[in-house]
Amino acid sequence: MKKRVVVIGGGAGGAILANNLPLEDFEVTVVDRSPYHYYWPWLLYVAFRGSRRPMRREIESLLKPGINFIQSGAQSVDLNNRKVVLEGGKTLDYDYLVIATGSRPTYGQIGGHEKAVEKYGDYHSTVENAERVWKSINSLKQGTFAVVVGGDPYRCPPSPLEGVFLAEEFFRSRGLRDRVRVVFAVPYPRPYPAEPMNEVVEPLLKERGVEYITFFTLDRIEDDRKVAVSMEGEELKYDALVVIPPHVGTDVKISPEDVLTTDRFVQADKYTNNIKGFDDAFVIGDASAVPVAKTGVTAHLQAEVVAKRLQGEDARNSGRTNCPFDLGYGLGTFVISDYRNPVVKLPPSRFSHMAKMLFAATYWDVVRYPELWNPIFEAYFDATEPAKLARIYV
Amino acid sequence: MPENRLKVDARGIACPGPITELVKAYRNAKNGDIIEVVATDPGFKPDVEAWIKRTGNQLLELREEGGTYVAVIKVTAKK
Repeated sequence: MKKRVVVIGGGAGGAILANNLPLEDFEVTVVDRSPYHYYWPWLLYVAFRGSRRPMRREIESLLKPGINFIQSGAQSVDLNNRKVVLEGGKTLDYDYLVIATGSRPTYGQIGGHEKAVEKYGDYHSTVENAERVWKSINSLKQGTFAVVVGGDPYRCPPSPLEGVFLAEEFFRSRGLRDRVRVVFAVPYPRPYPAEPMNEVVEPLLKERGVEYITFFTLDRIEDDRKVAVSMEGEELKYDALVVIPPHVGTDVKISPEDVLTTDRFVQADKYTNNIKGFDDAFVIGDASAVPVAKTGVTAHLQAEVVAKRLQGEDARNSGRTNCPFDLGYGLGTFVISDYRNPVVKLPPSRFSHMAKMLFAATYWDVVRYPELWNPIFEAYFDATEPAKLARIYV
Repeated sequence: MPENRLKVDARGIACPGPITELVKAYRNAKNGDIIEVVATDPGFKPDVEAWIKRTGNQLLELREEGGTYVAVIKVTAKK
């Protein structure tokens, strides 16, 4: 008898997991409310480069033939009785469950947030909002452009600063840099929260004249006065502003409820991705509460670990991150760390930027054909282990 | 109103770092609440101290036990 695997979510984690399971042994069903899989990192280039490159594909086209796809939201999951109820009322029984529902921005925590997004856009939600950012920076001819980290967690830890670097480059390329101030505000003690990476990026901010405000925990936006106000009452004046929205976890009803954190991320073992208390249910990628960055590479690596575990292998996550970081002007770096090693001080290079763009170009192929790409990524992750890089970049 | 005690487990977070977990708890807290953060990243101690100094909240306790840091913070600075 084939084991029945239900995967909720057809994004990076869910699709890669499904494609890594041998269909001789598993009957795999992927469910997703949307017919599309989005390559979310591209919102950055829609927002700050005006990119029109398509960033979504049909989930069905990304799954190996033989995998079932049901376009429907999951309404509830009953972990004790191994059942998933879909929005239409249909029930799926499973032997193994994988929750891969991602995370989503929430706009209820910061006063005036929704109005600000309608006006200036953001680049963590929709293509439409990212296009609004592009319009905002194109219409700003003088004054202050502010990027404010609104709260944690959010997808892609480098993304706030990537926006800052690309915005600065944009205004300089338009000859407006002497008239447009670029300001970055974060609730952390430094521009990038992890200290070693901050040592790489903070000098670039200084060199390019980007101002930054630390310990700024955004409370509300008063757009009539054009100020962002912190929880301690500090004010930041702007002419256009982009807020990085805090994210929350799954909207699927899960029982027992105590597997969820208060912001609806699913608690799991950080090495195996087993949902707390369940050996037949897993959570991968952004939907999980495990202490790693919310990023596609994490979802990808966790998907491979869970696929191996379902096949009886004792695979474990190393906690590896590998977040590409656009530093503007054709430069890039990667935020590389794992559970045992702090972030590596990888210096800015054109090569790292090229690696980011090459990865973006191969993305759909990587999702669809793990048999071709797994060995390549294995070699890459092995060659770039944080413990090895830390000996080179001290 | 009874005070809330918010427990934050930030052990194992190297990137983006345990300070992000403290910030998240702070956003959802109100004056009078207690936030207790447990972390293993050695950068956490100076970060908490700097954060307290700048935001004006109150540090009730900061201790280290065999590679684990525990910070107990009283939220007092919200306007």
